[in-house]
Order: sequence, then C-alpha cells, then structure tokens
Amino acid sequence: MSKPNIELQKFRTKRGKRLLSHLITTSLQYKLWIAFLLILILLGLIGYYRQLRYGLVVTAMRDYTSWGIYISNFVFFVAISLVGSLFSSILKLNKNLWARPLTRISEIIAVAAIICAAVIIIVDMGRPDRIFYVITHLRIQSPIIWDVIIISTYLVISILLLYISLLPDIALCRDRLTQIPNWKKALYRITAINWHNHPKQIAMLQKVNKILAISVLPVAFAIHTITSWLFATTWRPGWDSTNLGPYFVSGAFMAGAAVIIIAMYFIRKHLKLSKYITLSHFDRMGKLLVLLSLVYLYFNINEYLGPAFKMVGVEGEHITELFVGKYAPMYWFVQLGGLVLPIILLFFKPFRKPLPILIIAIFVVLGAWLKRFLIVIPSLQHPYLPIQGVDESYLHYNPTWEEWAITFSSFAWLLLIITVLIKLFPVIPIKKYKQGSETVFKQNIF
Amino acid sequence: MAVTFIFGANTISYGQDDLQDAIVTLSFIDNNEAKIIQAKATDQDGSPIEDLELYFYVQRTFSLLPIGDFFNTTDENGIVEIPFPEDLPGAVGGHVKIVVKILESDIYNDLTLETIKNWGIPTPVDQFEEKRSLWAAAANAPITLVISVSGMILVIWFIIGYIIFILYKIGKIKSDVHSQFNEENYFKDVIESF
Repeated sequence: MSKPNIELQKFRTKRGKRLLSHLITTSLQYKLWIAFLLILILLGLIGYYRQLRYGLVVTAMRDYTSWGIYISNFVFFVAISLVGSLFSSILKLNKNLWARPLTRISEIIAVAAIICAAVIIIVDMGRPDRIFYVITHLRIQSPIIWDVIIISTYLVISILLLYISLLPDIALCRDRLTQIPNWKKALYRITAINWHNHPKQIAMLQKVNKILAISVLPVAFAIHTITSWLFATTWRPGWDSTNLGPYFVSGAFMAGAAVIIIAMYFIRKHLKLSKYITLSHFDRMGKLLVLLSLVYLYFNINEYLGPAFKMVGVEGEHITELFVGKYAPMYWFVQLGGLVLPIILLFFKPFRKPLPILIIAIFVVLGAWLKRFLIVIPSLQHPYLPIQGVDESYLHYNPTWEEWAITFSSFAWLLLIITVLIKLFPVIPIKKYKQGSETVFKQNIF
Repeated sequence: MAVTFIFGANTISYGQDDLQDAIVTLSFIDNNEAKIIQAKATDQDGSPIEDLELYFYVQRTFSLLPIGDFFNTTDENGIVEIPFPEDLPGAVGGHVKIVVKILESDIYNDLTLETIKNWGIPTPVDQFEEKRSLWAAAANAPITLVISVSGMILVIWFIIGYIIFILYKIGKIKSDVHSQFNEENYFKDVIESF
C-alpha cells in the first residue's frame, strides 16, 4: 500500500480527527524515538549475550549479593503495573468520571510493565532453559511459586482489561479508518471479533467489564503482597517485617500514579490531546499522588521506626548503614526527594500544573526505583553468618555495564510496548455505552 | 565384632627419628545401655602402645564431627573406649561412617581408619514417609495450603475462563438489520459521533 494520506481519510468531527490521526500518520519524531529505543534494546541484548555465554559472573552478583538490580527492577515493574487496577477498578467503581480519559493509558502501562517484570526475572536466571522446572518441579509451599502464579494471572487479567475497554474502539477503527495499511485493517478486523454495537453485545461487554473491575482488585493487591513475601518470609534484616505487604502495595500505587503523570504529559504533548488530558486532570492526579504518597509515608515510618528504635543486632547494623552509612545518600534522597518534598510541593496548586508535576513525578519514579534497590541489596550484605574468607569485592555491589545495559534495555522494552500499543489503538477511550435495562445506548466520548 | 584395618601411612620424619607404623584394631560393643567404640593400638611387634592419642570422628556431609573426649589416650593395654552418641542421624538405614585417626604423633605415622556402622538414627528418604510441613518435599505440602492455594487459583481462573467465553459469545452474535435499525432510531438525540 502507498503511504497513507491523512487528507483522504474522512473524519466526521474534529474530535475524531484528533483522537485517531496518530493511527494513520507516522511522524519523524516517532521514528527517531523508536530508533532510540531499539538502540538501547540492542545494547541490552549484547549484555545478555555475554551473560548467557560467560554466565552470571559478568554481573556483580556474588555469594552475598545474590539478588541485584534485576530483582529490584522486577519489583519496580510489578509496582507500576498496579496502576491498571487503580484506574480500571478503584476509580471506575467509585465513579470518578474525570479519570476516564486516563484508563486506557493506565491499562497499557499495566500490560507493558507486567510483561517486562516477567521477562526480567528470566534474565536474572543463570540457566533460563530451566524456566520450566518451575512448573515440573513445583513446590506449592514456595513464595516464588505463588509469585509466578499471581504474575501470570495478573498478566492475563490486565490484557483482558485492556482488550475489553478497547473492543468497541477497535471496531470503530475497523469500520472508519481507510487510509491504513492492509495489515492494520486485518489486525482491527480480527481483534474486533465481529463487534457491531449489537445491544446484546453491549450488555455482555458491560457485564464482563463489571466482573473484571471487581476481580482485578484482589489480584492486584495479591500480586504485590506476594512479591513482598519473597522478602518477608525470610529472616534477613530489613526483609523480616510484617509491614512489608502493605508497604509494597502503597508504594506501588504511588509509583504507578507518578508514571501515569509522566505518560499523560508526553502523550498530551506529542498527540496534541490538551482538550482531553486537561489541566484539571493534572491537578486531580497531583492530589491523588499526594494522597497515595501520604499513605506510603505512613508505611515508611512504620517500616523503619521499629527497628531504628531497638537497633538490635544485625537489624541495627542494617539501619545504621541506611541512615548514616554507605547507603545514606541514596536513602535520604529517596525519602526526602522522592517522597516528602513531592508531598509538600503538590499541596500547592502551581506545582500541579503539567511541567512542574512532570518533574516531581520523575523524582517520585526515580525515588521508587532506588527504594527497590535499597530494599533488595543492603539486606543481602548483612547475612546472619559472618562474611569471611571471601574476596573483598564480595562485600560491595557495583553493577557491571552488562547489568546496566540490560536494565536500561528493560525500560526501553517497556516504553516500546507502550509506544506500539498507543500507535495501534486509540489512547483515549472513544466509545462509551450508557447502561440501561432497555439497552439504550448513545455514542459519546466521555 | 572386631574389625581390623591396617594402613601404611606416610613416612614423614619428625626431628632426627624415623616414625613407625602403628596398628589400630577397632571393636564395636553394642549392649542395652550404650554403644562403645573400642580401639586397640599395637606396634609392629604386637606390643600395646600406651598414651597414644587417637581421634574419633563421624563423617558429616562436608567435614568430620568429633566424638568422644577431646583427648582419647590409650591405657597401659593400648586400649581406649569412647561412647557413641545416641542421637546422631544416619543415612537411610541409620548407617554412619566412623573415622579413627592418629594425627601428628611424635612416634607414629599418621593413620586413618574408616568403617561404616548402622548406629545412627535412620533418616527417611522416601518422601511418602515424610511428615507434611512447609519445609517438606513438594508431595508433602500442608493440606490446608494445597487446598487454599488451589481453590483461589481455580476461582480466579474460572472467572477468566468465563470472561473469555463471554468474548467468544460476543463474537458469535450476528449483525442484523434490527440492530442497525435500533442504532438509527436510538441515535436521534445522540450527542456526537465519530
């Protein structure tokens, strides 16, 4: 097919043109962005090739720090994947209509994040060919097995959540878009599964939507609680805490909200959607972020005050290292720059405007990633049996270039999946059906 | 039962004297009260060796577990007896490897004797004999855990399966004139459409 001509595509309204043009045209900016992501991915693949060839010795993980930035990255991705349930379930069930334009973005981020979480775990394995031993040699008593099960379940649910909200919009694209390549027409035709706005179809979809919105909630809470149990079911200082479950879940919602703000800013800017992602949305997201951050601050205080008050044994050494030791600069940046300062700033309306809140959200996300680093690595460097008779380098953990390349590559994969999904499907929900016993429906944007 | 092992050891010389080889004979006495390991040390001429330190061990997975006293010295008859601990776990049939050594003696060469006795507590390897617990093998997980985890997985995947089934049914609904007609009629007051 020749290059699509946006002029030949008929749109009935300016709104339709605004929300669907990006599915037809491809800007130079988009191509450069994809190229940049592919370069990062390529560097990551080189690092992974070296890891497969020479083994995990190419990383900085050794006897003591046996979990490194791959695992902290995994926890981070699981955290931000919870945002899908926040918007598609919690806000939707509470009839927060203002959040509706953001539901598609949140669902896309959730799917992309959980896929990357699953992949980064396989990357952490020295022998990825043994991944199926997890199934064939399954021990139901293992928290790792619970995590595998819940992540697989949440991945399927997130995909269903995204697909079900997308279905009427895919049918719209199938029926209306003419200036698209044949493969895209085929994609819309197949994925639209014969959707044609029949009242019965609408009623069934709404029923399924409600079931999913309710079902995703316990699964979303379970996924990050179980991920926290990977740590909390051990005796290590910093991990052996009953507070870890709610601490992780609250941190996940906060980090996810910040990621949404970042996505909102760039999508609004590059797709020119300021009429749909308005200043009011940034303002409300800022308030939501403050609320979630306050909850997370509460759990942070709970997490550290107890052990810091007692300063017992290895736990005391761990706290000392975080508060005033080797990891103190990172720790205080995370707590102050990534949590306390954003809360204070977002109380003021000028900071809830797009650019300021973007910067604040970036700090929150950076703080969230570094917090996962602080959760995973320092505890491993304070084992119960004293470290003795090993090389001095075992006492420190400085990730190698292979680890950083793979980590950045995982972020590139995340952004690539999000970008491709936004390019293929409308990012703002277009069709909305009013629920009623007579199956009367109207077409509307919001 | 008496078991005798003779090993020719290394010929390290201490000081200006040559070291001799000692002969150590092990006996195992099992009565109702206790299990006793008896070692008798003699020289090449068959004379008992007095005040010779012997070291008794049981083989662990990667090292040796000392048993007996810190110093186990032969008496004037060249005999030393040590009690075997009652609470040592053994292999499947309770088998343990008992190791007796002469180490760094001024007169005699180093010597190592090993024998296997079924004096340990049998450790069941068959997982079906193992008690159900969180730390047991996969087949012996606690029943409550198996039921609760399986139940939760079944419930949520049943819901997922039901949703996929509904999507299948949605795809099977045919477009008809009535749905088209309904769309036109009901859209008289439609706000805006694409």
